[in-house]
Amino acid sequence: MPRSVNSVASRERRKRIMKQAKGYFGRRKNVWTVAKNAVEKGLTYAYRDRRTKKRNFRALWIQRINAGAREQGMSYSAFMGGVKKSNIELNRKVLADLAMNHPDAFKAVVEQVKSAK
Amino acid sequence: MNTLSYKTPSANSATVDKQWVVIDAAGLTVGRMMSRVASIVRGKHKTNFTPHVDCGDNVIILNAEKISFSGLKMDQKEYVSYSGYPGGQKRVTPKVLMDKNPKKILESALKGMLPKNRLGRALFHNVHIYEGAEHPHEAQKPKTITI
Repeated sequence: MPRSVNSVASRERRKRIMKQAKGYFGRRKNVWTVAKNAVEKGLTYAYRDRRTKKRNFRALWIQRINAGAREQGMSYSAFMGGVKKSNIELNRKVLADLAMNHPDAFKAVVEQVKSAK
Repeated sequence: MNTLSYKTPSANSATVDKQWVVIDAAGLTVGRMMSRVASIVRGKHKTNFTPHVDCGDNVIILNAEKISFSGLKMDQKEYVSYSGYPGGQKRVTPKVLMDKNPKKILESALKGMLPKNRLGRALFHNVHIYEGAEHPHEAQKPKTITI
C-alpha cells in the first residue's frame, strides 16, 4: 500500500502564504518563518484599517468642507450648525464633493445656510 | 445623477493649482503670521486638500527683520541648540538672532508648524523668506495677500 504523506498539502499551504508576502521588504518576502508572521500581522492591520478608513475619509471631508466654507467667510462649525438648522440633508461626503468639484452648488448651499439664520 | 463622483479623489501633481503669494511681514507677530503661512503652504485653504500631497501655495515673506513678538519674548524667549559635543548647548534670544540672521526666527517658527516628515521638509522649501522688500520671484507673478 502506498505511503500517504502530507508534503503536498503543506507545500500548498506555505505557497499560499508566501504568495501573500510578495513585495514585502527584505527577508519578509522569502523566509517562511518571517513571512508567516509578517502576513498574519499584515492581515490584522488590514482588518483594523478597513475600519479606520471610514474615520480618515470623514476627517478629510471635514477639512475640505472647512476650506470651502471659509472661502465664503464661514467657519466649519457655524456652517454645519446652519446645515442642520435649515434641514439640508446632505452628508459630509456630498458636501465635500460639492466644495471640490461643484463650487457653485456649494456656494448655493452656503447662501441658503446664511439666509436661514 | 452621474455628475457627482461617488469617490473622493486625491489631488495630485497634475490637478493641484500651485499659486505664489507674497506676505509683507512688517509689524506682524511671528507665531500668528507663521501659523497662517503654514496653513497656506500645507494647502488647508483649498477644497481639494490632500494630506499626503504637496498641494499648498508657494509663499514669499518680505521684511523678515521687521517682525515682532508679543510680551517680553524678544528678550526672554530662547532658542536652544546642541552641537553634539559636551558643553555644546547654546542658547540664543530672538534679540541676538535678529541682529545676526532674522530669517532664522521665521524659519524655526515655520519648521515647528509643518509636519515632521518627508512631506513637511519638502513643504519647507516652498517658503522663501527675505530681508527687505525685494524678492527675485517676479517671474512667478505672485499675488500680495494681507494677514
